[in-house]
Amino acid sequence: MLKDLLDQFICVRLVKANGLDLRLFQFDYDLTFAAFFLNGDGAIYGRYGSRSEQKNAAKDISLEGLRKALAAALTLHRDYPKNAAALAGKRGPAPKYAVPEQMPPLTSRHYTAQLDYNGKLAASCIHCHMVGDAERKMFRDAAKPIPDDLLFSYPMPSLVGLELDPKEIARVTRVLPGSPAARAGFQSGDEIATVQGQPIISIADIQWVLQHAGDSDQLKTGVVRNGQPKELTLSLGSGWRRGNDFAWRTTTWDLRRMAFGGLVLEDLPDENRADAGLTKDALALRVKYVGQYGDHAAGKRAGFQKDDILVSVDGKNDRMSEALAIAYLVQNKKPGDRVPIQVLRGKERLTLDLPLQ
Amino acid sequence: MRLTLALLAAAAVSMTHSFAAGPTRDQQILNDRNSIEAAGAWIYDDLEKGFAEAKQTGKPLLVVLRCVP
Repeated sequence: MLKDLLDQFICVRLVKANGLDLRLFQFDYDLTFAAFFLNGDGAIYGRYGSRSEQKNAAKDISLEGLRKALAAALTLHRDYPKNAAALAGKRGPAPKYAVPEQMPPLTSRHYTAQLDYNGKLAASCIHCHMVGDAERKMFRDAAKPIPDDLLFSYPMPSLVGLELDPKEIARVTRVLPGSPAARAGFQSGDEIATVQGQPIISIADIQWVLQHAGDSDQLKTGVVRNGQPKELTLSLGSGWRRGNDFAWRTTTWDLRRMAFGGLVLEDLPDENRADAGLTKDALALRVKYVGQYGDHAAGKRAGFQKDDILVSVDGKNDRMSEALAIAYLVQNKKPGDRVPIQVLRGKERLTLDLPLQ
Repeated sequence: MRLTLALLAAAAVSMTHSFAAGPTRDQQILNDRNSIEAAGAWIYDDLEKGFAEAKQTGKPLLVVLRCVP
């Protein structure tokens, strides 16, 4: 299905993040499949690869979508370098560390730029998600708040109200009522051609622009509607990013260690709250799992048990997701701080003291 | 004695199963490299070579980041 297009590319498969040039290869490091389309001089034509949940990892990608992205990349390649200015925004700001093995959380494990094919091969590999882990850990180790763009990273277009067809480049299938996209005037069937002047060849390209959008921003978007070009402005209000639930991400494992001592939490559904005597607006995070080993057992050592319901965290008792609760703690509390957490255990209310990491 | 023999038998079955288990993670990585390189269509884990060929041929580059599942 792809061979005729792939034959027009030089195809490279990377299986490790060791030695990866982070000045060039910036993407959602939690992906298990990601692709870049590039010129030989390093100009980025686009990205491919999106994911929004743990179980159905392939929901947001398709061979049809990849085929269309490949074809669109070839078109951009034919127009290069005339389109160089439009492509410039696809490259991110220079990172502090050029390659993953230089990042302080990874240096102690003595990774090199190459895999150890003559020794412990698998153990010598830096996984892509470890780059994101390291980025967050550097903030935590410096006792600085982890910023929103590293927590609520690579938002899907659905966060701003755009549901897109994964079999197309960026075709709107549904606009969520009341969303920024609805207010901007998007309609089902719109084909998103550019965002902030960047040509769009995949859903990942839209995520790239959203990832670099400010806390409050206006994104100029070029769409094709019924064959005609149209410009829409997507207005993002303060805090727009924080609706991005990162609970599904591999890297949330370490955030759970930092914030909740290895507890895995889930927001108690509305239909279960009445039985527990809790309203829909109340904080109610049920403990799904209690970490058992090492630093991930801090919650266990503090006395938390499976099925406890957290009803107050550091005095906060308004409803929030696990992601928002984690964000509150890693942005407002330092490692070594202790927070009081009230839990509902059966009919009993207890206050437990949780050390943060 | 009978219990001891039963435990030893169970241990033997368990060890046999371990030896007959699938490839190690290291072997999976090696197998992946060997199969990709044998097919010849992709450059395996050598970005420098990829960029060099892209510049030489004038073709665009497709870089896929995908670890061994």
